[in-house]
Amino acid sequence: MTREDKKLHDVQSGMEGPRDAGGHPTKDERVVGPILPGAGEVAARPARTLWGDAFTRLRKNKLAIIGLVWVTIVIALALSADLWVPRFFAEPTFTGFGSLEAPSAQHPFGTDRIGRDVFSRVVYGSRPSLSVGVLAVSISLALGLILGALSGYYGGVLDAFIMRTADVFFAFPYMLFTIALLAVLGPGLQNVFIAIGILGWPSIARVFRSSILSVKENEYVDAARAMGASDLRIMFRHIMPNAIAPIIVYGTMSIGGAIITEAALSYLGMGVQAPTPSWGSMLSEAKALMIPAPWLTIWPGFAILTTVLAFVLMGDGMRDALDVKMKD
Amino acid sequence: MGDLLRVEGLVKYFSTDQGLIASRLSKKVHAVDGISFTVRSGETLGLVGESGCGKSTTGRCLIRLLEPTAGTIDFDGIDVRALKGRALQEFRRDVQFIFQDPYASLNPRMTIGEIVTEPLAVHRLGTPQERRARAKELLDVVGLNPEHINRYPHEFSGGQRQRIGIARSLALKPRLVICDEPVSALDVSIQAQVINLLDDLQDQFGLTYVFIAHDLSVVRHISDRVAVMYLGKIVEVGGWQGLYDEPHHPYTQSLLSAVPVPDPAKQRTRERIILQGDVPSPIDPPNGCRFHTRCPIAQDICHHQEPELRQVAPDHEAACHFAKPFPIELAAVAPGTEAADAV
Amino acid sequence: MALLEVSDLKTQFTTRDGVVRAVDGVSFALEEGHTLAIVGESGSGKSVTALSIMRLIPDPPGKIAAGKVVLRGESVLDMSDADVRAMRGDRIAMIFQDPMTSLNPVFRVGFQIGEALRIHKGMSRKEADARAVEMLDLVGIPNAPHRAKDYPHQFSGGMRQRAMIAMALACDPDILIADEPTTALDVTIQAQILELMIELQQRKGTAIIMITHDLGVVADMADDVMVMYAGKQVEYGSADAVFYSPQHPYTWGLLDSLPRHDIDEKGTLLPIEGQPPSLIDVPPGCAFHPRCPYAQAVCRETCPELREIEPGHMAACHFAGTDSLVRGRVATAEGEVR
Repeated sequence: MTREDKKLHDVQSGMEGPRDAGGHPTKDERVVGPILPGAGEVAARPARTLWGDAFTRLRKNKLAIIGLVWVTIVIALALSADLWVPRFFAEPTFTGFGSLEAPSAQHPFGTDRIGRDVFSRVVYGSRPSLSVGVLAVSISLALGLILGALSGYYGGVLDAFIMRTADVFFAFPYMLFTIALLAVLGPGLQNVFIAIGILGWPSIARVFRSSILSVKENEYVDAARAMGASDLRIMFRHIMPNAIAPIIVYGTMSIGGAIITEAALSYLGMGVQAPTPSWGSMLSEAKALMIPAPWLTIWPGFAILTTVLAFVLMGDGMRDALDVKMKD
Repeated sequence: MGDLLRVEGLVKYFSTDQGLIASRLSKKVHAVDGISFTVRSGETLGLVGESGCGKSTTGRCLIRLLEPTAGTIDFDGIDVRALKGRALQEFRRDVQFIFQDPYASLNPRMTIGEIVTEPLAVHRLGTPQERRARAKELLDVVGLNPEHINRYPHEFSGGQRQRIGIARSLALKPRLVICDEPVSALDVSIQAQVINLLDDLQDQFGLTYVFIAHDLSVVRHISDRVAVMYLGKIVEVGGWQGLYDEPHHPYTQSLLSAVPVPDPAKQRTRERIILQGDVPSPIDPPNGCRFHTRCPIAQDICHHQEPELRQVAPDHEAACHFAKPFPIELAAVAPGTEAADAV
Repeated sequence: MALLEVSDLKTQFTTRDGVVRAVDGVSFALEEGHTLAIVGESGSGKSVTALSIMRLIPDPPGKIAAGKVVLRGESVLDMSDADVRAMRGDRIAMIFQDPMTSLNPVFRVGFQIGEALRIHKGMSRKEADARAVEMLDLVGIPNAPHRAKDYPHQFSGGMRQRAMIAMALACDPDILIADEPTTALDVTIQAQILELMIELQQRKGTAIIMITHDLGVVADMADDVMVMYAGKQVEYGSADAVFYSPQHPYTWGLLDSLPRHDIDEKGTLLPIEGQPPSLIDVPPGCAFHPRCPYAQAVCRETCPELREIEPGHMAACHFAGTDSLVRGRVATAEGEVR
């Protein structure tokens, strides 16, 4: 607020009513008659964006914050691993330590069959998991948003075509489809996220399409059309900002799903190839030793469980935070 | 004053199903079925009727939010239906729309300053600073505090939001404003504020209104001329005084007698026409006069011959074979008797 | 003794933002066969009053904090849950605003009407079905035996509201609470429903509590009127008294802000300026004072008690019935109308 505005405001603030906690004016600006304005004058509320409001609400959601903190920790570990986790522990060549050692001070998570430090492998294993999660979902989002937007906004034949194609994708068993795709592309991390990404778009497109359809019903979209706004303006200014919330939620949650798929594929040997560790491939290697060396399954399993859960909690929290009607 | 808007034989059908197949054979909803009317410059034409009568569809056709199936719309010599591209843009500067729902008609992710000046942005008028100044001016005009320019719609009450919608419709200095049930979502005391505001703005800016509503009293209050719609047709149209004092169509008479008045004594003695049954489906409207299925005075002719609008008094037309003032027996509501005990 | 006596009823909701006093000290009496209209704008507490009488306030967050509700000498607020369930639908029945959502779409209409009879009167399926057909016939649904087998989506809005009335009246309740029963309907259908309610009331002697914001409907139906504002009762009296000699400035405001089609001249509408207050942050003193053109210093400080202005006619305004207020009103009216 500029100084000029402030002055103007002071002149008019006699007409300013009290606000309830939701920031709603509780009186009209124009109170007539011989009434003193002192009933509850409040300074003008600083302009806050809706995203700012959303973040404020998110902060109040404890579970979402726990999810956010955990995701941040995992990402930080993955990024900083080179700096402090001895990389050679993750390499297969180093066998100077005993194999299948139980957790100890030196090896907090124990060691595996050929003496590699499990802690290092879990930390390095977060890299393929997270990158698959993020990259695969990005591919799904890129495809799904474009196709969903076209489908929802234009409708008609285009909509029918896109949605029937999506139905075809849904008709195949997901895991089998992924494996088949990897069989064509060949195993490897890069192909894993391409496969998961390509198979993820139909759900995103569907969610976005239905979100757009409901937003499109709002009269402000009609209002924009009536004032002569272009399709692009309506799409990006009026529909997208209001339709994107479910996608953010869904996208966050699907990162968890993609991590699980990656783990499953690596477990089956279709994903990350040895010696690079990934949570799924670690589980795969440990499957025969589950009873004698439980730490081999517990730690990568724990990592998958908590990370996926953290993404889901975050997504849940965002759903509530982004709901405009829920006020702080 | 000349005619600003002339509508001739406007028709809008909706297909009952969409999709790739079967659109040709499907049934059509006859939402608006051949209506004609004119709106004179500077006046308010009220469009009144019950739900499903096609009044809102008409309003949306007028600004090409919906594409009419047939008919002509002439706005100040321009053939509205033929407009494309730049010419359509120009037309949309002159004609604005006010929506019913004060909650759904404002984008929740835009500040009210952005909302009010969006028409200017769309038409690339003015610099951002000029637009901001204009936004403050507009908010002031509709009785809101110009300081609230950076707030979001959810911080305002229903009545205040409706004022924001009105401010938006004024941004381009339109000549014609179509108001689609602008007060029906509001509480009584707030409703009166908004009606008075619309009245003042009309005087101040020389606006012409098409005012669409289901509330007969509100329409009477704000309109110079009124058209009554039933099942996609105009059944009666005329100056407000003639139409309300001497309604000629049995539907108009029943509507007027059905609205309870806030006066217990009068309400006790008023004779009311209770129409039987429901409004027929617009998918398969009745033959002949569309009102004949519920009309208390329907004859054979009404079943097969559709009545045309014809003049029944100066500036007063009705579409009824038996149109005359009070063809239905209405002893207690004969004109004149009720004026005497008006509060 | 009146059929239903409500005294000093207070219902509150605890929200994150504070305590909402949705109903704040409401008292009235309903006589057998009479109609009481509760009038107010959205958020005035009229629906919550009705729900409190039915003990349908969700707890938490809601709570009936104080007051008495006495039905034929029996305290409703002290009843056991089982007794309350036995009362609902049998002695006090309720119909709601939206006829589209108040019937369950997966059951046949006749079955739903019979449900209360099976619960409260222990009727067999067959007896209940027969009675449901009778009730549908009574509320003017043509071809009732056939229509009872229809599902709600096969009924129009007006017919659904008739079916709701049939359902509510199936057990011959003492009191019918109608919460905005015609608001979602077109005027010609509204006229049918109001006519039906009046006719059934005369035939069965049911007392009606009519909750509405439409003063025309009030004038049509009500013997007594209670006007509510911000959870408080501001005026209460016979319909004639409230319409012809309103005592509270809010009631005047409501009447003056209403466009009417039954008066020859188009008068200027005199709206009540401002907005209704938030119930979390009700203005101190008289809740109406920020919008009241006649407010004085006392109005900002002291909340006026409901008091009798003339026999049977009460208002909660410091100046109700005083000359200064009446003169003020005349002056305003002349000044504004010119």
